[in-house]
Amino acid sequence: LPTPPARLPYVPHVPPMALLGKVTATTFALERPCCVFNGHADVSDTVWLVVAFANASATFRNPLSLADVPPYKQLPTAHSYMTLGTAAASYSCSAPSPPVLRVGGDTACRDQGRQDPCNGPLPSPGPYRVKFLLMGCRGPKAETCWSEPILLRRAASPSTINPVPTRRGSAVVVIASILASLGAVLVTTVLGALGAKMWGSLCHQDLGTNAFIRRSYRTHHIPPALPQPLPLSSGYNPPGLCCSVLQPPAPC
Amino acid sequence: MAKSDDCVHILQGLLVFGNVVIGMCGIALTAECIYFVSSPNGHYPLLKVTEDSDINAAAWIGIFVGLALFALSILGIIGVIKASRTLLLVYIILMLITFAFEMASCITAASHQDSLTPQLFLKQMLERYQKSEPANNSDNEVTKTWDELMLQNHCCGVLGPSDWQEYTSAFRLTHSDADYPWPRMCCVLNAQGLPDNLDGCKLGVPGYYNSNGCYDAISGPVNTHAWGVAWFGFAILCWTFCVLLGTMFYWSGIEY
Repeated sequence: LPTPPARLPYVPHVPPMALLGKVTATTFALERPCCVFNGHADVSDTVWLVVAFANASATFRNPLSLADVPPYKQLPTAHSYMTLGTAAASYSCSAPSPPVLRVGGDTACRDQGRQDPCNGPLPSPGPYRVKFLLMGCRGPKAETCWSEPILLRRAASPSTINPVPTRRGSAVVVIASILASLGAVLVTTVLGALGAKMWGSLCHQDLGTNAFIRRSYRTHHIPPALPQPLPLSSGYNPPGLCCSVLQPPAPC
Repeated sequence: MAKSDDCVHILQGLLVFGNVVIGMCGIALTAECIYFVSSPNGHYPLLKVTEDSDINAAAWIGIFVGLALFALSILGIIGVIKASRTLLLVYIILMLITFAFEMASCITAASHQDSLTPQLFLKQMLERYQKSEPANNSDNEVTKTWDELMLQNHCCGVLGPSDWQEYTSAFRLTHSDADYPWPRMCCVLNAQGLPDNLDGCKLGVPGYYNSNGCYDAISGPVNTHAWGVAWFGFAILCWTFCVLLGTMFYWSGIEY
């Protein structure tokens, strides 16, 4: 009987750093396990990623040889598959490789249906559980723990977006109320002035002591008339006036 | 008598001054609204598509109200100087009509600001951006406008790239989630227009994609315009109110 694979205490997990795309609707990212397979891996071994639905992870059986590796297209029926088979050297302590593995990033192999292990996009939101499996020539040599269930994003329909504003801004209320009151005052004043004029003209009344009731605003300044001197003619001598004008006759 | 003459002259002077200010403000309002209607800032296709062209209507009303205010101010100056009851009555009534129109324009512009929520643009973007069978030309314009917007402002989506993840969209129908978590325009592009680091962009590594939303870039210019039309019109109307009250007081003092 082949020896059961060694159980490594490492738990695969989604990277803790802030990456906006670490979990999308069809892909997710995993932190690359560095130095985890040290001591168990030979140069010729490969590390595989087992992806299974969370409720099917308990029933997953490790493949006994490389020929039994479940491919990507068996996911709907077998509820699990293995992918991302890479040389164990890339998981060693000193390997300079990107710190993140992206599961589901290869759309070409899904469309072309190749038989190679395919890192195709995940068809449903899951949840999924993953573990790393170290495969040698004779079968699995070591495995990590199963990860926590990873739930992918579910997108909502844009028809659920409500574009109506939740509350009216205060600007509208201020402008509307002030302008409405100003308009009302103006209309009232106009109607009142017109009405007062008509009332006044109907009742033939003066309109009171308006300080500037006048025909036009050009003032006519009429100076008071000066008394004209009476014209004196030489022959005119009104009776009763002094006789100093005429000389008396000579004495007899 | 001399004292009332002075009062009359002061009132005349104030009314003429008030009308001069109204005339100048009318010209300014017309100029501002013409600038807004023919604005070159390019966000207009987005607003046109929202079918919420209230701000456009408010601007057009503003143009005509501005010209009317200018013409009426000249009429008012002539009426005050000649102390003609007929002219001033015509002036007052036409001014009231103009007041009503400008009031409508102000309230429309102010309430339009409220309606430009992020959700409005989000819904429009999700439903129309990169639509594969564009129903009409406006869908193409929306796509072009968004591409330019995201390229020039280094932004993505309305609130952020997660808009494309949280909602399905017309874009998502033709571009798979694994290859395009968000459009390529959201990535940091090099001089050739290609993403600097495509894998980094897809993963959302800071520095390789634009993480902020475009809402500020859209709403900024539109809000400025709406404020200009709404509050400037409001100020003009308050001043017009005072001038009209003074004119009515003057008019009631003229006697044939």
